Amino acid sequence: MQDLKLLANDKRGKTELGSRRDLVGWHEVTQGSILPSFDGDAIGIALKKAEERVYSNFNSYTATVASWRVQKPVFNIDVCIDCQNCWVWCPDSSILSRDKQMMGIDYDHCKGCQVCSEVCPTNPKSLLMFNEYVQLEDALASWPEKKKKEK
Amino acid sequence: MTEIRWHSRAGQGAVSGAKGLGDVVATTGKEVQAFALYGSAKRGAALRAYNRIDDKQILNHAKFMNPDYVLVIDPALAYTDNIEENESEETKYIITTHLSKEELIEGRPSLKGKEDRVYIVDCVQISLDTIGRSVPNAPMLGAFVKVSGMFELEYFLENMKRVLSKFPQKIIDGNMQAITKAYNEVK
Amino acid sequence: MAVKYDLNEREVWDGNFAASQSLRQAKVDVVAAYPITPSTPIVENYGSYVANGYVDGEFVMVESEHAAMSACVGASASGGRVSTATSSQGFALMVEVLYQASGMRLPIVLNVVNRALASPLNVRGDHSDMYLGRDSGWIQVDAFNAQEAYDLALCAFKIGENHTVRLPVMVHQDGFITSHTAQNVYPLSDEVAYDFVGDFKPVDDMLDFSRPITYGAQTEEDWHFEHKARQHKALFDSREVIDAVFAEFEKISGRAYKRVESYDMEDAEVAIVALGTTVETARVAASELRSEDGIKAGVVAIRNFRPFPFDKVREALANVKSIAVLDRSSPGGAMGAFFNEVSAAIYSTPNRPLVTNYIYGLGGRDFSIEEAKRIFKEQKENADAGHIMTDIQQFSGLRGPSLGFFKTKRG
Repeated sequence: MQDLKLLANDKRGKTELGSRRDLVGWHEVTQGSILPSFDGDAIGIALKKAEERVYSNFNSYTATVASWRVQKPVFNIDVCIDCQNCWVWCPDSSILSRDKQMMGIDYDHCKGCQVCSEVCPTNPKSLLMFNEYVQLEDALASWPEKKKKEK
Repeated sequence: MTEIRWHSRAGQGAVSGAKGLGDVVATTGKEVQAFALYGSAKRGAALRAYNRIDDKQILNHAKFMNPDYVLVIDPALAYTDNIEENESEETKYIITTHLSKEELIEGRPSLKGKEDRVYIVDCVQISLDTIGRSVPNAPMLGAFVKVSGMFELEYFLENMKRVLSKFPQKIIDGNMQAITKAYNEVK
Repeated sequence: MAVKYDLNEREVWDGNFAASQSLRQAKVDVVAAYPITPSTPIVENYGSYVANGYVDGEFVMVESEHAAMSACVGASASGGRVSTATSSQGFALMVEVLYQASGMRLPIVLNVVNRALASPLNVRGDHSDMYLGRDSGWIQVDAFNAQEAYDLALCAFKIGENHTVRLPVMVHQDGFITSHTAQNVYPLSDEVAYDFVGDFKPVDDMLDFSRPITYGAQTEEDWHFEHKARQHKALFDSREVIDAVFAEFEKISGRAYKRVESYDMEDAEVAIVALGTTVETARVAASELRSEDGIKAGVVAIRNFRPFPFDKVREALANVKSIAVLDRSSPGGAMGAFFNEVSAAIYSTPNRPLVTNYIYGLGGRDFSIEEAKRIFKEQKENADAGHIMTDIQQFSGLRGPSLGFFKTKRG
């Protein structure tokens, strides 16, 4: 069972997107609405893992859209074949994968669109949608069996 | 203020002529203006170019002028264009033609009574003889230098060499000959 | 290292050539252009300077003016000194991207050689394109002759690139009347010119890999207003920088520029307010009228069309009796835009001079000294009568029956 804050640093998803808590006056907005992605020197940032980067408050990494979900994908590592299909298709970069090993879901940025589950080729699927309130362990406990081929 | 109006056809070099004249005049310390109003003009279309020369900065940007000199570098325009437009009683005309002055005025009666202000020179033939093709602007400059008395010929030639410096030597030499020939032949 | 370009102390240049020399002397890094009459030679010349090694820069050929300004936005955001030129229809096609450039606070210098907008098609000078840019958030300065087209282009880089300004700048000159008219121009040496403009010091440049940034963020109703307000304030605040740059330019050139230029205004009773070459022609008329008819005529010119010098216009015109505001753009069913702005400025003066509006010179129609004198004389009649005798808006220099609109209600 994955950690809800899998591979996250303290800043990931700390602000509810659209919460309006960050609204400032005209004198404090950035000139030209130009937004830096990171705080500090970003040289070599591409080689750093996400949880090691110092994302600026303007970066969507620091915002969460978790509340937008009605259903969430749950990842079952026992069935997954690490094909990376979900990682390719996810429109919100919310599939967490390392060295081509599937790790789990970024629940701060996943909006529950179900694309990952749709494209999962395993039998049974390694990603299935559950209601948001279902606990991960309950979801995994109720995982379906392999479907028999219909003759 | 001296004001000059060129009557030409697109491609005959009135614009370059006006700018070249301006360039040389400026070396004497005077302020100059050289312009032409064209745009979509095709080769052969009648156009006019203008010069103003003054001791102080030229502020007037109007096309309108009562020209002191009218320079006609196309033989047919002497007949078809309104070369006397906004003339004054002192306006001098330098007209390119192969005709005699009497023949020219015969065909352009509106020049009658202005014989002492009309000068003729065959810029087309001169440019054919010296440069090898019909570019009547350079000879007109030579004629203007003579008629206006604005410069010594030598001074003008030296400065025109500088203006033309980007051209091959053969072209520069041809232009120098054309200017000199017209200077000597205008009457 | 660029090849040395030979310059004389006195040159005879047209406005286009003058502007292109400024681009060379400022060592512009990138020009992306889609040439259009009458501004073509500006970018054409820059291209030849690049090809012949007179400037170390890049000429980017694009497929439209929209693409030209887009490439300029990209190059400027990347951290280069960027400039281009356009006119008329090309300007119109650029408009969408003009707002992007100013909103992103990119100090691009656009040389606008003013030309009428079709239809009917026309290549000559009027101010339709200049007016089209007036709400685009750019600084707009206006040159009245070739010398000024050169001077102001140099100033434009220094103004726009100032870190407290960071705004794009348009340098306007009249199509043909300036752009194709050769006059004496006294250029600065390359060293003095570049020393004045200075090295380009990028801010928020996308090629700074130590600080990746987002350009062109979306802001809806919760953010957009604040950003536009800050941009608008930056535009108004640029006035001080413009004054300072003009003062510094005067030190190196001896040529003084002001955001509002006044000529013969000390004791003037009547005034023409204008833009472009008309200013200089009207100056000749004013000075001749003073000696010929004793009419105390003066001319007020707006050098700095944006940010509009509301306070300076008010000061310049506070004591005259009757004013003619000359609009060289078809107003499309309104009073001339320039008339409206000048009128608004003087509305809050105690004297409230009479103001009338002349639409003139469309499509390059000649504006003569005689016409300027006629306008001055009408102002004199208004001043003597104490009210406007003519239509408030008149077309001047138009063939056919006189065309005018709106009378002052009296009695």
